[in-house]
Amino acid sequence: MNSSISRNAHPSKTNTLSLGIICVLILVLTMQIWLLTAALNESLDGNNAVKWPAFFASTLLFLAGAALLRYLPDPIRQARKAARHGRDTAGL
Amino acid sequence: MNKIMTPPLPPRSSAEVDFPIERTEAEHVTRREFAKFLCLVSGGMAVGSGWVAVKDKIFPPFTFDGERFVCNVEDVPVGGTHPFRLEGSRIPFILIRLTDGSFRAYEQKCTHLSCAVYYSPDKNKIECPCHHGFFDANDGKVLAGPPPRPLPHLEVALRDGAVFVREPEQKT
Repeated sequence: MNSSISRNAHPSKTNTLSLGIICVLILVLTMQIWLLTAALNESLDGNNAVKWPAFFASTLLFLAGAALLRYLPDPIRQARKAARHGRDTAGL
Repeated sequence: MNKIMTPPLPPRSSAEVDFPIERTEAEHVTRREFAKFLCLVSGGMAVGSGWVAVKDKIFPPFTFDGERFVCNVEDVPVGGTHPFRLEGSRIPFILIRLTDGSFRAYEQKCTHLSCAVYYSPDKNKIECPCHHGFFDANDGKVLAGPPPRPLPHLEVALRDGAVFVREPEQKT
């Protein structure tokens, strides 16, 4: 379903979608770097209360980022080819 | 006017897609590939956070019971230092005899990037020469520079002219 949506989307929309996903992924990565450095700093200081919540939050962010990849638009050439193939098989 | 029809290109194998002949094509990174790479790094960060969480379980930090002998009091002059290691540990420590005659024992590794620190008796500070981090010689707290944490310390006990160290009380 996601791929059919991205296949039928206008190229300018796919452009926006790609850039939006990349921006969100960079934001996710920035938060993960902050979580990692904060957890490491606290752990080295002997404060162990932070490291497990930081790990769970980081994993959650990674899963969210990985889920976002499903919405990445297909390359336009590939999408056109797939659309043409769909029309052919439907007998149009 | 007849249009010149170019024959369609033969389909390329996945190996040809992954390792194209043209250099420009090989160096080209699509936005899809970049997004996937960002997600891969994000996974690496999650694994790194997991490593921080379980590190102490796999490699427990060095601890010891009771007191350990370091040296005799007269071995360290006022304003002088005595480097030592505890048996079973690879962490370097320094015993400092402050200008008021009291003793302190700190890890010799700077909390910034683990450079060896030294005691400067005229300033009564512990200094890291790598990035000019300064610690208070009385309690190991950071006075200036990039170190993020105080120097880890050991408690010092004097008995019968000898210097002993023991673990500090745990944080609550």
